[in-house]
Order: sequence, then structure tokens, then C-alpha cells
Amino acid sequence: MRQTNTRFDIGHQVSGTPFSPTRASIRQFCEASLDFNPLHLDDEYMQRDFGKTHFGSIIMHGMNNFGVITKMLTDWLYAHGGIQRRLETRWKLPVKPGDTISPAAVVTGSKDSATGRWLTLDVRVRNQRGEVVAVGQAMVEFPRPEDGLGTREQR
Amino acid sequence: MSGTCFATDFWKDDARRKTWEQIVPGEPRETIPYTLTLDAIQKYCRVVGDLHPLYFDQAYADNSRYQGLIAPPSIHILLMFACTPAHDWMRSPGTVNAGQSWSYHIPARPDDTITLQARALDKFIKKDRLFVVHDNVFFNQHGQVICAGRGWTIRPF
Repeated sequence: MRQTNTRFDIGHQVSGTPFSPTRASIRQFCEASLDFNPLHLDDEYMQRDFGKTHFGSIIMHGMNNFGVITKMLTDWLYAHGGIQRRLETRWKLPVKPGDTISPAAVVTGSKDSATGRWLTLDVRVRNQRGEVVAVGQAMVEFPRPEDGLGTREQR
Repeated sequence: MSGTCFATDFWKDDARRKTWEQIVPGEPRETIPYTLTLDAIQKYCRVVGDLHPLYFDQAYADNSRYQGLIAPPSIHILLMFACTPAHDWMRSPGTVNAGQSWSYHIPARPDDTITLQARALDKFIKKDRLFVVHDNVFFNQHGQVICAGRGWTIRPF
């Protein structure tokens, strides 16, 4: 595990791998997550109105988006010895088969503590039309090398 | 998956599930211990396109700070459903996820026995929609907290 520059400045940008859900990938996410809600499987059911919302067709799991954001953060963090400590998300628009979503984040703050350096980031996920489908905040830690995991894990 | 037969038809037990009116903030949800397998971790990882060697390459993971294979932080997506029964209200058809907030302590690992403490925390009406807030803490077999989180769901009418 490499230890490189962990002094990322405010404004440092991180971008993630684009993700293009298909009907097959949504079905696979149902099976991998055990979330078989008809929102993700049943087009006929999705012709209903959900309160004031009308989706019109199946939608990707919001938590699939959460997984895509997490991959962006951990790909960056693991390469620099960092740990994902927190992720908060809000889903703004549905993501449907045929869309391509791209996550990005920017460092907004940092704080040195007794155990390491903590950064906060703003997260945005946009679709292929540039629409923001998800927003969030993340918190990550770069532990001091002598702290190992930065946790007291029992093995 | 440790011999557990998971429900895939979310309509089957729908009549048994608590409606928004019946959900009591503060009341614990019924939960089930779950053994997290390497297969389940890797199945999830492949679906979200996350093939990091910490989840797939034993030798790489053994030589990392984690000293073994781990699950990605977002594995709680699977654990949320793996650790709750088929009649849990989170499986109500039409439940819409509005947002989530999760805090991570230590990674989950293959063969961990995961337990969940979960409850509805709040419920309210906003913009003509029915919301329930739930909170959740996942533990490993050593009683260590893996992660803790909170979610906002819009409930079906």
C-alpha cells in the first residue's frame, strides 16, 4: 500500500469511473444486494404515481449509485493510504437503464488530529445530460503511519 | 450464503409488513445474524464494477495494511437486507430511498458473522410524502462496530 502525498489541498478534485446501468445490471444489483423492490424490476408497476413522483419505468437502485461513489473514493484513498470514514448522499433524480453516471468530488476542508489528517469532500454525480442525480458529503482519514489501520481492529 | 434462503418476491409478505402508520420510532427492528461470504462480497463488487485487489487478490490483500481480503465500505447495502427478515418494512414495494449517511470504523471481512441493531428513528410528512428515518449499526463477531448509518425513505401510500 503506497504512502504518497496525503496533503491534498482544498479544491483538489477526484473523479470516478463512469457507470452505465442496464436492465441486466439492475437485475444483478437486486441479486447482489437482496433488494428486489419492484421499483427496479417491474415496468408495469412503475406506471403508477408515487405520491407526486412518476418514474414511468424502472430505476436503478440509489444504493448502486452509493457503490459507484464509494469506488471513486476508495480507488483514490487506497492508493494513498487513506480510509473512507463517512459518506452522506441525497438522491436528486432517478437513474435509468441507458443513462451514464459519473461521480466527482472536491476537497472542501481538512483537519489534523491526534490520529491523522481528516478531509471533507463535496460529492456530485451527473448523468450524460449534465444533470445532477446525486449530491453528498464525504469524510476521509489519512492515518499517521504508526497508527496502522487507524482503528483497533481485532483479528 | 450460509444456507439462508433469501426472499426475492417483495410482494409475498407485504401484508405482514408495518405500514407508515404502524411504524413506531424508537422500536427495534427484528434482525438476523448473517455470515458474510467471499462469494457474496465479490458478487456485489462485480455488479458495481469495483474490482480492487483488496477484494479479489489474496496475496495483494495479505501484504496490505488490512492483512487479508476485505469487503468495500458499501457492503452494508447487502447487509441491510441480509440481516433483516422478509416481513421487514424496508422491503415494502414502492419504498423510495431519499438519502443515506454512513460512518465507517473497520472493514467487514469474508466469513465475518454480522449482526445488526436497527430501528425506525423518526417519521414525518413532508411535501405530501410519508418519510421514515431508520438507523442501523453493524457489528462483527467480536462485537466491534463495522459501520453505522442512517437512511431517509419515502414510504408507499
